[in-house]
Amino acid sequence: MAESVLADHPPDTVTGFADLVRRHQSMVFSIALHFLADRSAAEELAQDVFLQLHANLPALKSEGHVTFWLRKVTAHRCIDYKRRRKLPQVSLEEVAEPSAPAPAWDPLFERKLRHVIASLPAKARLIVILRYQEDLGSEDIAEALSIPVATVKSHLRRSLALLREKLVRSMGEVTI
Amino acid sequence: MTHPDLNQIEKQLKNALRRQNAPADFAEQVLARLAAHNSIPQVRRDPRWSIFTQPLVRWTAISATATCLVIGGIHYRSLRRERAKGEAAKQQLMLALRIAGSKLQLAKAKVNEINATQTANRSRSEEE
Amino acid sequence: MRRTVRHAIVVLPLALPLLLRAQAIKLPPDVEKLSVKAKETVEVNMDGPMLHWASKFLSAEDPDEQKAAKLITNLKGIYVRSFEFDNEGAYTSTEVEELRAQFPSPLWSRVVGVRSQREGDNVDVFFKLEDERMAGIVIIAAETKELTVVNIVGPIDVDELADLGGEFGIPRLNPKTLPKSAIKSIAKAEKGSQK
Repeated sequence: MAESVLADHPPDTVTGFADLVRRHQSMVFSIALHFLADRSAAEELAQDVFLQLHANLPALKSEGHVTFWLRKVTAHRCIDYKRRRKLPQVSLEEVAEPSAPAPAWDPLFERKLRHVIASLPAKARLIVILRYQEDLGSEDIAEALSIPVATVKSHLRRSLALLREKLVRSMGEVTI
Repeated sequence: MTHPDLNQIEKQLKNALRRQNAPADFAEQVLARLAAHNSIPQVRRDPRWSIFTQPLVRWTAISATATCLVIGGIHYRSLRRERAKGEAAKQQLMLALRIAGSKLQLAKAKVNEINATQTANRSRSEEE
Repeated sequence: MRRTVRHAIVVLPLALPLLLRAQAIKLPPDVEKLSVKAKETVEVNMDGPMLHWASKFLSAEDPDEQKAAKLITNLKGIYVRSFEFDNEGAYTSTEVEELRAQFPSPLWSRVVGVRSQREGDNVDVFFKLEDERMAGIVIIAAETKELTVVNIVGPIDVDELADLGGEFGIPRLNPKTLPKSAIKSIAKAEKGSQK
């Protein structure tokens, strides 16, 4: 089934490739956006990923393979981008807490949460993004980032513990 | 008040990290960059292209192409800047509407609370 | 180490006649100065032309953005100030009263006015009516560590307002169906304050 998607809309044609881009653009753009917290930079990075995809099309055999490839390349490009621009790196312990209490849905709190996520160290940030945006398991994340599964689990555990600590501190101040 | 459990945090994270739409013309932008990347003329060993073996002609063609690419690049960057500003404005708009919506929700919740309290008080006084 | 964040996000309006600018929230000077004390300030100033321009970037494929596009069709402006503070007591009730005083009757009707002594959250919602049509709404949410003022200017009817309340994951707030107790308590408080 996955193979027939590529066969029906050959990605080496203009229309086929445009369709391929449209199918995956949200995923690629979102990973970049949540990592970089900069729409313009995320757009440019996402475009670069698809240009690279075009160059590597012959090697990709199925839609699933394309999806995996895109996640992997986007993740690595995000890390390269951070390294080149020397974005400030903060250790997990130094990350500021989202200070407002969290009602059922608060756009300001959500914005703060995204800021907290964006200030995590690069690998931890990508792991959180791949886990909660893409719903990937630890093994898939490990494969995408070329790191051991144990490292993924450790980063995830520490990131969640940190976020929980910040939330408990802020929600503990709410009076009823 | 119970402490937030992992499920709640994970729900918050899933919500905050939900996929966002790429700009509407994203695919077209990719194709445009692909076309620009592939549009550099190639010198072929073909009699019909022999005119390009003449240095003056070759350099004129390369200069003209480079100029077009630079102008195209400037135009592209200008469009990108314009779109970036538009996207930023859109984000501000959505934020403002969401803040308004969430505060209306707060008002609604407070009104419901008053109503519930008054109903409870009325029932209590009726029992007495 | 705790990191305090303070930034103001400002969307500058295009150059406009003073008349239209006058429709923006006129915050009392003491309230405007709260941004100095605030840990985080959100400021949005979007008048008609800016709204129109921003609407071009709303995606037809995103349901939320589609709804937003419909909501802002006839709006003349959206203005938000939201201040978040580290500690309680960063602003006074006098400052909030000064804010409320910007929206007097009969031009403005306060359809919701809630005072919560226990939680310290107070919320007011004012409607502006012109020719029996909604022409604007102001929301003032004075919470323990946050003060938010939202001013939406433009011909909005009650159904659109209900949609605004009903979308983005929140229950509908229809002024026609507000409990009479809420309106009565407001009327009582207003009578009392006039003495």
